Amino acid sequence: MKNSLLALSAVFALFMTSCSNDDDTSEENLTGSGEISIKFDNGYNGNDLVLGTANAANANDEVITVNRLSYIVSNVSFINKDGEEYVYAKDDSYFIINQETEEDQIALADIPAGEYTTVKFGVGVDQEKYLQGAEGQGDFLTLAEENNMMWSWQAGYKFLNFEGTFTSETITEATEFKIHMGSHGSSLDNYKEVTLTLPENVVVGDGIDSNIHLKIDASKILVGGTNSIELTEKQVIMVDAEKSPQIAVNTSEIFVVDHIHNGNGH
Amino acid sequence: MNDLQNTKILYRFLSCVCVSFFTVLSYSNNNTHTLDTNPNECTTHIHYDGEYFDFCDTCGCGSSGGSMGYGTGLNNNFIGLRYIGQEYRSRDGIFADSPWIKENFNTIQAWANVPITKRAILNVIVPYQFHNRVLPDNTEQNINGIGDISILGYYNLLKATPDSIVSIKPEHYFQLGGGIKMPTGKYDKDNNEGSVNPSFQLGNGSWDYVLAINYGFTYRNWGISTMANYTIKTKNPKDYQFGNQLNLGINAFKTYYVSDMAITPIIGLAEEIYGTNKEIGFDVADTKGDVFLGKLSVEASYNRYALGLTGMLPISQNLNSDKVELRNRVSVYLNINL
Repeated sequence: MKNSLLALSAVFALFMTSCSNDDDTSEENLTGSGEISIKFDNGYNGNDLVLGTANAANANDEVITVNRLSYIVSNVSFINKDGEEYVYAKDDSYFIINQETEEDQIALADIPAGEYTTVKFGVGVDQEKYLQGAEGQGDFLTLAEENNMMWSWQAGYKFLNFEGTFTSETITEATEFKIHMGSHGSSLDNYKEVTLTLPENVVVGDGIDSNIHLKIDASKILVGGTNSIELTEKQVIMVDAEKSPQIAVNTSEIFVVDHIHNGNGH
Repeated sequence: MNDLQNTKILYRFLSCVCVSFFTVLSYSNNNTHTLDTNPNECTTHIHYDGEYFDFCDTCGCGSSGGSMGYGTGLNNNFIGLRYIGQEYRSRDGIFADSPWIKENFNTIQAWANVPITKRAILNVIVPYQFHNRVLPDNTEQNINGIGDISILGYYNLLKATPDSIVSIKPEHYFQLGGGIKMPTGKYDKDNNEGSVNPSFQLGNGSWDYVLAINYGFTYRNWGISTMANYTIKTKNPKDYQFGNQLNLGINAFKTYYVSDMAITPIIGLAEEIYGTNKEIGFDVADTKGDVFLGKLSVEASYNRYALGLTGMLPISQNLNSDKVELRNRVSVYLNINL
């Protein structure tokens, strides 16, 4: 009796301490196709980005109030766990994220069933698309105009429209700033590609729609890992051969994957 | 922090390892001579209500409130009603300043411990839940209804001292139990969407299986009780599976006699550990976690009636990647001993 009791207790203790369960049912039901949506959740240095509200001072001691944040996202592709890339149909692969209109999610339908490890997209409009001329842009041209993402057709798209006011040590009165970054025709190419490795695979298939939730840090547009730009020095950055490419690099670094929702399509 | 870690390790050690150790020890003790020959008539009046563990019956991590009162005691068969109130807050969003949503989980349980044989006990819990939360847009969401009914059987491996014999040596009990938790509570998929607490549900929606172990002893009017239980949760019809759950608890209590009443203050520690939830077989991010709680409780018994009051506060926690926080738990119960 004593022995059986000991054995029982031991079995129980073992069972109690083994807290994980690994009954992976993945893959077996992955057929057909599904939708992957990507949420661009705009934030500012870890906090939520609220338009018209002052944010904490950045590394350059500038206190920024954002009044507008819009950017173009394009050419989405997914790399599956076998390393194969699925490129979303190019003509359908141009989107505008706009904080003012709360346009913060893009939906990519009919992605072939599978598990994807990586998402890639571009910030802005690539030269290939631009060189298709005004007719080649389809509805996106109108969409861009409606969202203040065009200078003029010749000048091209604004890839990023970042506006607001700021104060700094030397500029104590709230002062407007405008950062419009784009490619300026074909003379300066500011289109950038972003590659994000997912913390866990995103899964799609028939009946399985999934979501990639990105956390955006808009403070990095000015104070990024690569370039630090002071508004105190220049408040309007548009066609600027030096600062505009720096902004383009910084903007490509604002995206981080927060989490994946597999199977509940949001 | 080190102290806390050490406490937790010590505590787990106590709850898990000592259960077997003490039991074997006590088993052999049963055959040895009585150490003290002074009869103490109070001992037989001790209620074993220290083993009413205030784990509650809700869903996944966070609000799962770690299962329920699977704890039973020797000589302690009862029917009763228990109210459990739990306050949580969960973060609606991914940012450091995303708003917290306050969530109140309320449960009224009809519960009973019914003797089947001398050593076997049937434990039944029928919960009714009424939960509410206020969303950031100030709309209030209420859900209410019956929760998941659980039925467990326990077998006491130790012979109880017959009531007629007054014993002054430590009296041990050691119970193994198992049972089911039925999907009688409604699981609403919509409540799981968005980034707020996925456990805002009336039930898991799944057939779950419970394994339980209780060990304790009383000596004179002192007592120690420990418990551990593990809930294996299965996939529900919406293809959602809450993570398995381990609950541990240890309590110390002492009974005082005031005229006809017995007053038992209880001090305890509890830990709940949750596995990751799965949806269509894939891990749901930020759903595992653990919470370590301190507990203070007092029970007053008179004749066949026992009235208990319990408060629990988290000592440390990491639920849903800190997106869910347990604030407190309270419970009140009224039992009639059979």
